[in-house]
Amino acid sequence: MRIKKKEVQSEIFTGSMADISFLLIIFFMITSAFSADRGLDFALPEDTDTPEIKQEDSIDVHVLRGGAIEIDGNGTPLEGLLPYVLDKLKQNPEKPVILRTDPDATYGDMIRAFDTLRTARIEWTDADGQPLHMDVHGKPLTDIQTISIPTRREIENLWSMLGIQ
Amino acid sequence: MGLIRGRERKPAGQIFTASMADIVFLLLVFFIVTYKVEVDRTKMDLPDTWIRSKVPEKAAVISIAPPDDITAPLTVRVSTGEEMSLPVSTTEEVVTFASTEVARDPNKEFIIKADEQVPYEHVDAVLDALKQSKVKNIYLLSEQKTVKD
Repeated sequence: MRIKKKEVQSEIFTGSMADISFLLIIFFMITSAFSADRGLDFALPEDTDTPEIKQEDSIDVHVLRGGAIEIDGNGTPLEGLLPYVLDKLKQNPEKPVILRTDPDATYGDMIRAFDTLRTARIEWTDADGQPLHMDVHGKPLTDIQTISIPTRREIENLWSMLGIQ
Repeated sequence: MGLIRGRERKPAGQIFTASMADIVFLLLVFFIVTYKVEVDRTKMDLPDTWIRSKVPEKAAVISIAPPDDITAPLTVRVSTGEEMSLPVSTTEEVVTFASTEVARDPNKEFIIKADEQVPYEHVDAVLDALKQSKVKNIYLLSEQKTVKD
């Protein structure tokens, strides 16, 4: 009589794999966050002994309460900001833009003005990135070189240095 | 013969599920790859901007949220970018936090995550604290602005 050998099953049971995967999916779906990971970047000056900037050497943008803006002391709509800056930079492309914000204005008001200034590199170039404007020396004007956001303490320090109350 | 007896063969009512595991795995891989722990979960309305650049990973986060109650103070939270954010009550604490981070890594980037309705004086105080701490690069977190905005 021949004895039949019983074959050992070597399969891995995968029936519960889908259940485990579903469990993991639910975990990752709930815990993963599609958070905002983009924003406006700006670099702060390396040293605190920044050269003194005279008002006539800069473009003063003042964001008021309610979101209205004043450029060099004159009330202007936000749409008029870039054309004004462009006009000034054509005369002197190194002119810095100083963005001051009223303490009672909202953060959103300040960001709107700052974002408008940052769109200069898009507005002043064509689709191929070629400059649309030239300065008085015939050099291409593609962006605002310096946008400074001084804090209230810095402005007060500057004013006290200049003897302005 | 079956037809003569009036019996009909029942159609199979099964849903084909063999590819389900593949789809599930695909989704699983997607979620594992995109998984990122959000260090600050404060809910707020970020301002909208046209210009947006990617913020670096592991950058420190300072969040400024308006209070639920108008009389309550603002909620300011700080995070190193690796741990969950913790509340701070004074600007001095922000200076201490930022100085410690800058001492550890002089090129450490900071993200300011503030609600668009927050009065600017509070953002100004945080900016001043970061300037005092010799922070070099700051990112102002925003949402993408669209034409309808």
